Amino acid sequence: MKTVRKHLEKLRTIKKKEYHPLIHKIHKKHKISRKTLFYVKEYGPHTNVPRTIIKESAKLLVFASIISSFGGLALENIKIIFVSIMPLIILLPILNDMIGDFGTIVSSKFSTMLYENKVNKKWWINRELRKLFLQVIIMSFIMTLISFAMAFSVSIFSGYALNTKIILKIFLVEIIDVFLLVNILFLIAILAGIYFYKKKEDPNNFLIPITTSVADFGNMIILSALVILFF
Amino acid sequence: MEIFDKNFEEMLSSQTVSIIGGLAAGTILAVYTDKILLIPGMLILLPGFLEMRGNISGSFASRLSSGLFLGVIKPNADVDTKIIKGNLIASFFLAILLSFSLGLIAFLFNFFVLRTLTFSIILIPVIAGVLANVIEIPLTLFVTFYLFRKGHDPNNIMGPFVTSTGDLTSVISLLLVMVII
Repeated sequence: MKTVRKHLEKLRTIKKKEYHPLIHKIHKKHKISRKTLFYVKEYGPHTNVPRTIIKESAKLLVFASIISSFGGLALENIKIIFVSIMPLIILLPILNDMIGDFGTIVSSKFSTMLYENKVNKKWWINRELRKLFLQVIIMSFIMTLISFAMAFSVSIFSGYALNTKIILKIFLVEIIDVFLLVNILFLIAILAGIYFYKKKEDPNNFLIPITTSVADFGNMIILSALVILFF
Repeated sequence: MEIFDKNFEEMLSSQTVSIIGGLAAGTILAVYTDKILLIPGMLILLPGFLEMRGNISGSFASRLSSGLFLGVIKPNADVDTKIIKGNLIASFFLAILLSFSLGLIAFLFNFFVLRTLTFSIILIPVIAGVLANVIEIPLTLFVTFYLFRKGHDPNNIMGPFVTSTGDLTSVISLLLVMVII
């Protein structure tokens, strides 16, 4: 017990620069989970909690905001067309949430697969990964249909004039946007996940902010391009 | 290969919750589009502003959940502990910092591209960010504790909960501040 305490105290004093081998040693020797050790290291009694959180998150969050703003710029450029199509305004937060959530799901599940050593060099023939891809694709199709129906119901209820041509165009814009982004996110999560895992970093800490930023930015860009193309 | 397993069901239910929140936010946005368009550059900061709530409160809920599962945080909603206080301070600070950054980017765009000086574009997201977080951060704290006490894993529920409620509080606070200013 004394040695565990001694090791934990030592762990608390280590500055967070990168994954420290002491975590691995204590984990193996004393069977304490990596998550517990990580938490001890990050938020121990001698750490300044707000400082630690701000220091680690601020840069990435500001970067994510800048990326989102670039996406917003694309929307600002097609503002006149965009705001004249009510279902698209309704769909904007839905699509952002939905695609961001897919990014989070794919990232966290792929990180777990990496930790469980389920992914080898030929990741494209991995059975579990294929299953996840199919699940996310089917899920995105179902969610696209539901959100499309909801946005149209609200638009019609609000007195927005619609014809078959506009309905078809908006459906195509939504389905192409979602399908393209799901594929892009999957590819980014896999390639970046393998890269960070090989660098002995926790993929969870990088993949979620990366995929959500790409999801937001990509959504605005692809949505803007499709609106220009179709309308 | 069984596609429609328990995981699929869980994803489906969390996505449905997320869509409902997004729909409510989208409807409010659509109704008040004319007000949003009054200030140039609002569409630049809107996506980032909506995303911010999920990024800050989502991470906050995730840190709390880890602390609760590890036993470092007690589930009695006592905010007077070092970790919780630290998390609250950090979350509020990050919200102000990000709101200011978003406002600044939109302001610079207006200044350099549209050749207009709109200082309100900085002020609006900062005030709205504070307002939205005054609601969202304590809500996240209490719901995470509540779910944990009831025997649920907050990690499975807080993601869609935070994005849905975050969208709503963000849009409402943004419109409220725009009307006031």
